[in-house]
Amino acid sequence: MASFSSLNTALSAMRYQQVVLDVSSTNIANGGTDGYVRRRVVGETVGAPATPAIWSRTNEIGAGVRASGVDRMVDQYLDNRGRAEHAKQSYLDVQADALARVETGLAEPGGNGVSGALADFRSTLHDLVNAPGSDAARSQVLSSANTLADAIRLQARNLADEAGDQRSRLIATVQEVNDTATQLAATNHSIAAASLTEGDTASLLDERDRLSMKLAELTGGTAKIRDDGGMDVEVRGVSLVAGTTTQQLQIAAGVNPDGTADGNPTAYTIGATAVTGLSGDVGGISDLLDHKLPDHLAGLNAIAKQLADDINLQHTQGYDATGAAGTATFFDYTDPDVAASLTVGITDPKQLAASSQPKDPASPVMVLDTGNADALIGAIKVDDGYQRLVNQFGTVVASTKRLAANQQALTSQIDSSREQLAGVSLDEETVNMLSAQRAYEAAARVMTTIDSMLDTLINRTGMTR
Amino acid sequence: MAISRMTQKMMSDRALLGMQAGLDRLSKVQEQLTTGRVINRPSDDPTATTSAMRIRGSVAAQKQYARNANDALAWLNQTDATLASMTDQVRRAKDIALQGANDGAMGPEAREALATEVDQIRKGLIATANGTYLGRPLFGGVTGGSAAYAADGTWIGVPAAAGQGVTRTVGEGVQIRVDVEGPTALGPDGDSLFDHLDALATALRSGSSAGMATAIGKLGSDSARITDVQSSVGARTNRVEQAQTAAGDAQLSLTNSLSEIENADIAKATVDLQLQEVAYQAALSATARVMQPSLLDFLR
Repeated sequence: MASFSSLNTALSAMRYQQVVLDVSSTNIANGGTDGYVRRRVVGETVGAPATPAIWSRTNEIGAGVRASGVDRMVDQYLDNRGRAEHAKQSYLDVQADALARVETGLAEPGGNGVSGALADFRSTLHDLVNAPGSDAARSQVLSSANTLADAIRLQARNLADEAGDQRSRLIATVQEVNDTATQLAATNHSIAAASLTEGDTASLLDERDRLSMKLAELTGGTAKIRDDGGMDVEVRGVSLVAGTTTQQLQIAAGVNPDGTADGNPTAYTIGATAVTGLSGDVGGISDLLDHKLPDHLAGLNAIAKQLADDINLQHTQGYDATGAAGTATFFDYTDPDVAASLTVGITDPKQLAASSQPKDPASPVMVLDTGNADALIGAIKVDDGYQRLVNQFGTVVASTKRLAANQQALTSQIDSSREQLAGVSLDEETVNMLSAQRAYEAAARVMTTIDSMLDTLINRTGMTR
Repeated sequence: MAISRMTQKMMSDRALLGMQAGLDRLSKVQEQLTTGRVINRPSDDPTATTSAMRIRGSVAAQKQYARNANDALAWLNQTDATLASMTDQVRRAKDIALQGANDGAMGPEAREALATEVDQIRKGLIATANGTYLGRPLFGGVTGGSAAYAADGTWIGVPAAAGQGVTRTVGEGVQIRVDVEGPTALGPDGDSLFDHLDALATALRSGSSAGMATAIGKLGSDSARITDVQSSVGARTNRVEQAQTAAGDAQLSLTNSLSEIENADIAKATVDLQLQEVAYQAALSATARVMQPSLLDFLR
């Protein structure tokens, strides 16, 4: 064993401990950085040289330590799971938020919503029965009918506004997907280049994981690590990012480029391939646009149509204050957007057909019969239907909220597991730092000791006094 | 036993999540207290929302029934009073007829005086029969005019369609007719109370005892008819009163049920608020303590 080899061993230890300190300081510096994965130095004993020939021997014990690499503390399977859970989370969150907004617009239960307006309408008709000769009572009926039509229109408009917002959001989200995909492809390129030159790719890999997580949250895309360290992302089996190439996610149907609806359900293509069943933000918005919002609107339209048709039919059976038969347009609307176009078709209170018998044309005297007003009260039959509609919507909102809350628990559980592996613990880093410091000091002491041994050997050997 | 690795970020994330959950629960209880309602949106409890909407609708209906019943009572009472005053006047006319019929020695002047009084009674009865409720003639059927009888005693009202009339809805599917058409109470034109009074005055003037006797008989049956109608009005009044009481009771019990479903139990909500507040404060102080120390505090 050479006299100086221990010096080299001590030197290797000092170098290694410096690397450990470097990595610790990087970990501490990035303790709060999003997407940062803690690093750990992998040490390796520098062993004795391999036996060069059969009879050759070496008596060296070891030649120190070296840093063989820096590990990123990730678990690929946990990451995959995390991406899947985050996709489901954003799918549900998008819906819960939008539905909660629409729900507030219902103003139920309370006196200000459609059911309140229905009760008022019925009440003013009763008052008209009590005082058929009064113009005030007739005007009251018309104004409460207007309030009812307004309340239904307002709800339809809330739904249309929400759908409009979601369509704009969808366009922006799709743009974000494509931007993120492009960034991921660029990162893949850098990773490939860096691994060729054996440079440090850890921070690029952090960036890669962050981008693929974002793509998962936006589209529910799944990721697969390439041999060169890059990451491919597929959405429902269709490739979005493959190495350094990307394909564009596009809205094939459902939303026009200016944000208006084209009347069809939403559909998407990636490149030229149609893709269905997206999750994440895009999937959540699609579900809102294709099912949740239109379903409620269809229910509201059915209610509005039934109300208008029943009342109009009954209205034609009666006679107004001038003795003419009632018009068929007490409520006016245009199919198929009944709820959004519902208005009161008559403006003159005298046109309200309250009487069930016509006025005698020969007589100047008005007929104050109220048989038809009573029948009109009976023709308001939508309360049950409306209550059912509100119940259905409330159930949808409640279940979406509950699912989102459950998913939140699951997502944070997975996040917590990932953080357990990848997160920076300050205590742990402090301990690493301390032990590196002590080890460095010890290595320095080894040098001093060998130095003093050499001093003894060189300067004092043979000296007798 | 595996010791799971904890990091500072995990602890701060968990603390944040816990505090947010606590604050969320606190804000829910606070919402219940400030609005005074447990159900503030359908998703809070979809089934209870449906019940609340249904009960609200019923409360509005019962309120309206009570109002209708009030109106019906006023109308019926007015009719009742009018019929009572008519009975008095008819009795007086009958007395006069009897007086004219019994006193054979009565001179033409005396009979003329009686006839004039009968004319006056007839005029008075026509005025009474034109009595109105809120501008509508009580005995005019569904007329939009202001009178039920012309000055000559002919009925100028408009008859309601068969089986209808002026009705008030005083309960679910309960319609009660509140008007009495003139001919029903006072006889059809040509054979009405006013025609009989006219005949009586003529008989008095001419001194025809046969005419007077006929008139006495007719007035007797008129009086009986009015009384019949009056008792029918009384029976309807009873029904309306019962309906009114029922509507009031229903309103009260429905409002109670609505309150049970919709309104927050203030005592419970206040206790909940206290609990959530304590829990939130505990989360805050625990976070403050846990987040503070690290190994660095003990190294120098």
